[in-house]
Amino acid sequence: MKKYFPYISGVILFIFVLIALSVGATQIENFWSALAHPGSNEILWQIRIPRVAAAVLVGAALGIAGLMAQGACNNALAEPAILGTSAGASFGAVLAILLGVVQVGSIGAVICGALGALCATSLTFRLASLRSNLSSFALIIVGIAVSAIITAVVGLASTMVTRADARSISFWNFGSLSLITNNNVAALGSVLLIGAGLAWKVAPTLDLLSLGDATAFHLGVDTRKARMLALVALSILAGGAVSTVGTIAFLGLAAPHIARFIYGPAHRFLIIQSALIGATLLVAADTAARTIAAPNELPIGLVTSLIGAPILIVLVSMRNTIWKTP
Amino acid sequence: MITINEITIVRDNREIIYDYSEQIPAGSITVIVGPNGSGKSTLLAAIAGDIVPTKGTITIDDAHPPLTSAAHLATLRAMAIQNQVYTLGFTVREVIEMGGAADEIMEQLHLSDIANRQVTTLSGGESQRVAIAQAIAQKAPVLLLDEPLAAQDIDSRRRIIALLKKLADEGSTVVVVAHANENDLSWADKVIKDFL
Repeated sequence: MKKYFPYISGVILFIFVLIALSVGATQIENFWSALAHPGSNEILWQIRIPRVAAAVLVGAALGIAGLMAQGACNNALAEPAILGTSAGASFGAVLAILLGVVQVGSIGAVICGALGALCATSLTFRLASLRSNLSSFALIIVGIAVSAIITAVVGLASTMVTRADARSISFWNFGSLSLITNNNVAALGSVLLIGAGLAWKVAPTLDLLSLGDATAFHLGVDTRKARMLALVALSILAGGAVSTVGTIAFLGLAAPHIARFIYGPAHRFLIIQSALIGATLLVAADTAARTIAAPNELPIGLVTSLIGAPILIVLVSMRNTIWKTP
Repeated sequence: MITINEITIVRDNREIIYDYSEQIPAGSITVIVGPNGSGKSTLLAAIAGDIVPTKGTITIDDAHPPLTSAAHLATLRAMAIQNQVYTLGFTVREVIEMGGAADEIMEQLHLSDIANRQVTTLSGGESQRVAIAQAIAQKAPVLLLDEPLAAQDIDSRRRIIALLKKLADEGSTVVVVAHANENDLSWADKVIKDFL
């Protein structure tokens, strides 16, 4: 039984995907038949499948992004929203959209989002290590401040400009999957592939970084290079997700922690499990967001917090030796 | 062979080590002793390549640690720091295997019984022994240990010292930092006291 344990998250995700495809404001008649025949049902094939696919890809990307943030910082609180990564991604995408260079959800917006994410995260690291060695405390405080400043700038920019394609302040702060198209899904898939590949490469080094910079260096790790690689992976994943669907709270923090509590600390294995758990949480949250108050939609960021936080609290209460804060 | 050539180390505008030279031969145990704040851990960190001397050079065989890649340096020297903190719940075996093969060294340091325990649940002395075991598992010709006996009971001290003697007999260069309170240093081939 135990050898099948790692596959359980995959099975749970599959079940949630089927539920997400079958429920919504409009009932799909002959669901299984419509699913078996591509293009046969417009609501299923043009709206729900792209949306659920985007939820899977964004949830997986944010799950791995959170794992990279926590691994690179060796800090349980690190996640894209706290390090300024998500805000930087919003800023990069909004700026490029307002300048008319790209459109929301395009590869161009994804690249600008990733660059914004990388710049903001690097700024957080640079400012946190100005006066002394990088400490967890400085990193979190500076990250929150950088994030607050950039979020305010994004809010100002998206409020002052009334163009519909620039999206609203609510979109950038709480996220939404309601405007997803098949093209967005292709762009998100590419981002996940590249980001997850980089994360896979750097994962064994993050195991060593968990012993602290000094010991990792003694074991042969170039700590600056390893951290930079992890931050690039984080920026690509979070940048791609945020520039397409806005900022979705809590997934980046919760998914890797839930995976770690269940499956242990080895980063390579956690990449797969964080992705599966992040995807499951987001598919479940999106399904709830669009069905609870149908035909209205709830902000998805609120639902991810409502679903993810209780799971995290239960796991922390049951088993708290997996992460020890010095 | 470790060669320390006229090094000066200044940190926070304070001269911690001044114009110090030393040769540490292969196949021996050298103990650096001194009170708190005397710079003994700084000297060890400089040998490990963690700190670049303000003046002078240190070489391990022919390699200059600051000019050597981290990966290559790990084949020349291994080091266990004094206060190893474990944040993630890897098992004792997994952590030691990050250095190299674990079974033999776990047996020698009396860690086999706790091989499957998470390192986040260990006592200070156990954590220190795991760090020492990991450094030894690396099988580098130079072994640097910062206060390895500080949190150990009598039996563990005896085991660690016996193992260091065995490694030195087999050709390793062992450098150990010890507190000035350490009374019996008869197991050391060389004791360094005055390096400021």
